[in-house]
Amino acid sequence: MHTHHVTEQPAPPSSSDSTSPTGKGDSSARVVRYILGRLFAIAATVAVAAYIAVLIANMGGYVDEIRYAQIQERIVMRVGADEELMELPSERRAELVEAMVDRETTRRGLDQPFMIRSFRYLGNALTLNLGRSHDMTSDSGSRLVRLIILERLAPTLLLFATAELGLFGIAIFVALYLSRRYGSKLDRLFVALAPTSAAPSWFYGIFLILIFAALLGWLPFGGMVAAPAPANPLLYALSVMRHLLLPVAAIIISALFLAVYSWRTFFLIYSSEDYVELAKAKGLTSAAIERRYVLRPTLPTIITSFMLSIIGLWTGAIVLERVFNWPGIGTVTVEAINLYDTPVILGTVIVYAYLLGITVFVLDFVYALVDPRIKVGLGRNRS
Amino acid sequence: MRGISFTNQFTLVIASVTMVVLAAAACERREETVEEAAPPETVYSWIDEIVVLQETDTSSAIARLAAGDFDMYAGGVSSPDILEEIQAQGLAFEESFGQSAELTFNPSGPEFEGTGELNPFSEPRIREAMNLLVDRDYIAEEIYGGLAKPRYHPISGAFPDYARVAGEARALEMEYAYDPQRAEEIITEQMERLGAERKDGVWRYEDEPVELIFVIRTEDERREVGDYVANRLEDIGFKVDRLYRTADEASALWIGSHPSEGRFHLYTGGWIATLVNRDQAAAFDFYYTPRSLPQPLYQAYEPSPEFDAHSQRLAQREYSTLAERNELFAEALRLALQDSARVWLVDQVVATPRQPSVSVAADLGGGVSGARLWALTLQKDGGGEFRLGTPGILTEPWNPLDGSNWVYDQMIIRATSDEGTKRDPFTGLPWPQRIESAEVTVQDGLPVTRTHDWVTLEFAERIEVPEDAWAGWDPVAQEFTTVGEEHPEGMTARRRSIVTYPEDFFEIMWHDGSQISTADIVLGIILTFDRAKEESTLFDAAQLPGYESFIRNFRGIRITSENPLTIEYYADNYFLDAEANVSTFFPTYAHGAGAWHQLALGIRAEINEQLAFSADKADRLEVEWASYVSGPSLKILAEELEQAQAENYLPYEPVLAEYVDDNEVAERWENLAAWYERMNHLWVGIGPFKLTGVRPVEGTVVLERFEHFPDPFEKWERFDEPAIAQVDIHGPSSVVPGEEAVFEIEVSYDGRPYDADDIDTVQYLVFDATGALQYITGAEHTGDGIYRAILDAELTNELQTGATRIEAVVVPLIVSIPTFESREFVVIP
Repeated sequence: MHTHHVTEQPAPPSSSDSTSPTGKGDSSARVVRYILGRLFAIAATVAVAAYIAVLIANMGGYVDEIRYAQIQERIVMRVGADEELMELPSERRAELVEAMVDRETTRRGLDQPFMIRSFRYLGNALTLNLGRSHDMTSDSGSRLVRLIILERLAPTLLLFATAELGLFGIAIFVALYLSRRYGSKLDRLFVALAPTSAAPSWFYGIFLILIFAALLGWLPFGGMVAAPAPANPLLYALSVMRHLLLPVAAIIISALFLAVYSWRTFFLIYSSEDYVELAKAKGLTSAAIERRYVLRPTLPTIITSFMLSIIGLWTGAIVLERVFNWPGIGTVTVEAINLYDTPVILGTVIVYAYLLGITVFVLDFVYALVDPRIKVGLGRNRS
Repeated sequence: MRGISFTNQFTLVIASVTMVVLAAAACERREETVEEAAPPETVYSWIDEIVVLQETDTSSAIARLAAGDFDMYAGGVSSPDILEEIQAQGLAFEESFGQSAELTFNPSGPEFEGTGELNPFSEPRIREAMNLLVDRDYIAEEIYGGLAKPRYHPISGAFPDYARVAGEARALEMEYAYDPQRAEEIITEQMERLGAERKDGVWRYEDEPVELIFVIRTEDERREVGDYVANRLEDIGFKVDRLYRTADEASALWIGSHPSEGRFHLYTGGWIATLVNRDQAAAFDFYYTPRSLPQPLYQAYEPSPEFDAHSQRLAQREYSTLAERNELFAEALRLALQDSARVWLVDQVVATPRQPSVSVAADLGGGVSGARLWALTLQKDGGGEFRLGTPGILTEPWNPLDGSNWVYDQMIIRATSDEGTKRDPFTGLPWPQRIESAEVTVQDGLPVTRTHDWVTLEFAERIEVPEDAWAGWDPVAQEFTTVGEEHPEGMTARRRSIVTYPEDFFEIMWHDGSQISTADIVLGIILTFDRAKEESTLFDAAQLPGYESFIRNFRGIRITSENPLTIEYYADNYFLDAEANVSTFFPTYAHGAGAWHQLALGIRAEINEQLAFSADKADRLEVEWASYVSGPSLKILAEELEQAQAENYLPYEPVLAEYVDDNEVAERWENLAAWYERMNHLWVGIGPFKLTGVRPVEGTVVLERFEHFPDPFEKWERFDEPAIAQVDIHGPSSVVPGEEAVFEIEVSYDGRPYDADDIDTVQYLVFDATGALQYITGAEHTGDGIYRAILDAELTNELQTGATRIEAVVVPLIVSIPTFESREFVVIP
């Protein structure tokens, strides 16, 4: 299927545009135009997604109804348990409860029509101001949605970046290795284990905790750092790494076999291309063949599948973080949904939307870097 | 195919390995358990450091306890499955009884205005019959797996009010015991009266089946309770639409909707008490009358005039003796069952799991997390570090005035705080902690009694409030106003409390090394007024409800001596116990201890509109909610600290200047600055443990024992376990009418006779062969832990032939849970 590439091989150009048909000035303008276009498209997508999220998060007014009732129930429960307020004459207590409900309703903006609030939410979301939460506070005690999310974003990114990088490195290495040993026992083992990736990471997490924390006691049950946390930054970092081991292992185990299986298959397909045979015939070393003629053309496909798997992993993050008691954004999201804290829900959605947008944006450039056939702004592939 | 088969094999291998590992571990654990069966005697030691870790998942918490990673888990366990696991792992637990479950009925009708459909529960007799339709023993034993006790009344079976009327309450419980046949008869009669008819086993109204909308909570055992009750209703011909809902979703229906809309018929409600409540007399007014709350559901309540009057009299304390109150109470219990706007089902038993090597006080209402004494009684074998797991930590900002009120935050905060008196975890009665003695005087005719001798109780015809007592606050002049100024004609109060503090009171130290002073106490009094005054720069509308309940009864306050410190307090409200009428002043606020210099930082920041103590005001000003432990607030407070130190700032100087020593102001700022430098937070407590480590994102907090805490830790050791009485009844197995029969009631605790001085009452009740109460009276104390119940010839003569039951009700003074024990005998012809 890629035999037409043969004519451009065996010396694929570097990512710089030595094959560019136009001059440097044109090229820069084209790149800028392309970047602006892409940014605009992503921003528009994020804005539409955010407003849809605003509408969904309100569920056609149902959430307002729930939140109003929530206020009432909390106040009733609070008054029932407050010996001082129970001391008051019942009629006076009822008046005070009414005033308390009114004050809470106003505080959360429920006295304003939803449409007005929806545009305020959207504006906050798009400008990344994110506003104030209704009920939740950040770990350090702030009501600013920005801080609620930011404080948890770092641990989540640490966990997933570590896991993804580990997964990427290990999977590439093993896949390449297996592609050279097609049909070996190890290869068959990985093929056989590929279906185990059907189970989510948290599932493996539970087993890992059971074995390595509960039974063997070698590794912690969860959390991000030992308690009390070491004061020395180096020891702190080591402690975080120790706490990362099990959740990272869970993510890698849950995705490794399928990734290796599929990538090794790509490698196998590409390594049987005619140009590879030609390179072999020319007497190039196997390392050079692998780097130039197998890995390079396979990378776009691998990166795409890798990015898709990352996006898939976000969905598993919520449960995984809970299983490992990891102070990440997943647990914040669940809490916000449970509390119907719309600003926080929207905040997390918008952060995900931006992260996704940035990922797509970066991916465009990564493609251009790794795939000589793709050139930005030309509107078509040159292969 | 080979791959798949290999996968299967591999899966089998993994599963086998896991099973083997688990089995090996289980064996190992069993061996440990066997070894633990005969351990050397536990030597409890005090704790040097408490490490608090967040663990949101209860099952994981139990695994961590089993693995020794936790010494205790503060989260309450109410699931029988998890309790089974706790027991299987050889762990111990503390019990509390503060949670309850009930059925809330929609009383609107008989037809809903919104739908025109029939609401059977608009009829009190049908609601009353629901008591007979549900088997509370089944719910407690089978659904809650024994982690619950049947409950029939709006008051907790573990709190003192139940013990005060235990005999009458017990008789009502027999009357309303499970009797589905009688329930069906009553419901049938009433449904027909309402115009419904039963065709093919299904109730129909205007040719449509009567369908009940049942809102069932899903988060706990109430899901099974809901299914059970729905099944019972279906058994007697109702169609039931089961709406399974979480708390918030359910609230939109049961409290958010108007009852006349007909969006629900019944709901599996639940309530939580966080402490032993010694006076639940307002419960009737609160749960059954439209007076208590403005919500539409409450407005739909229509208690009978008799019940309404009883409820109101109890709520407003319109009685003059305890005996009169008990009579009213017993009658109100009966009327509440007749009304049954709610049918109470169970008092839940909530377990706080811990290692067997740990000893700690647990409040009978609030458990360990609610116990005021938990940190003062905490011990473990070997002492040292104590690892405490909690479901939540630093959930909201910590500040002493209006910070986090979450149970688990408050638990930790209490370890850093202290109080004038401490609540007894088993009776709810206060004991002196930071005060030396107290005198209480109440107006003649008030039903106040005294239990402990640390307080004196006197009655007076008239209690004058002295002219120079403070009666209010001028927020502009920043001065107290006196009774003489506000009430030149003089003023009286119904209660006076005089508290004397120990001579060494001012040697007590804050955790930053500052010594306590009268200014710490006076600031608390000022803030009570100032934050609720609209003219004040600290005005906060959220303070108004609390202030209103305070000012309605407040009559005056006076510091009569500073050496020893003596404070008089005058008020119009009173409590049944003399001990509860003691008004102590100690610088611990609703949400933690606060030294004047520590609070001054927040006061400055709130005046500058950079922070606010309450969430409500913070949202209004769109500023941070003040946190003294972490986050953006700290930076603001630290800047205020720098400026305050530079200015040698004293808040409310016109008043407080009188109560600080020459060097106190400068020393305090120096101490606080040094504390902040060392600890990186501004939470300066005064309790047995100081906060030394805060990691909000990581979810950990570290407390270290405060070396200058004034008390020996043994002070509260006696509260490690509630002395719930064990009761046995010995006596004849048969009784002949007309002949006297004597039964012996043996009351013990821990294998020893229960001290008679610690027993309030021992009553016995006789139920005849039909289950009807025949007799109720007190038993006679005859010896160590022995009480005698005599059924004289006249009584036995009235008993019907057949199986008869005598039931003893033992009410101790030192624990509020009464013990019931019964014995059957046969009345032979």
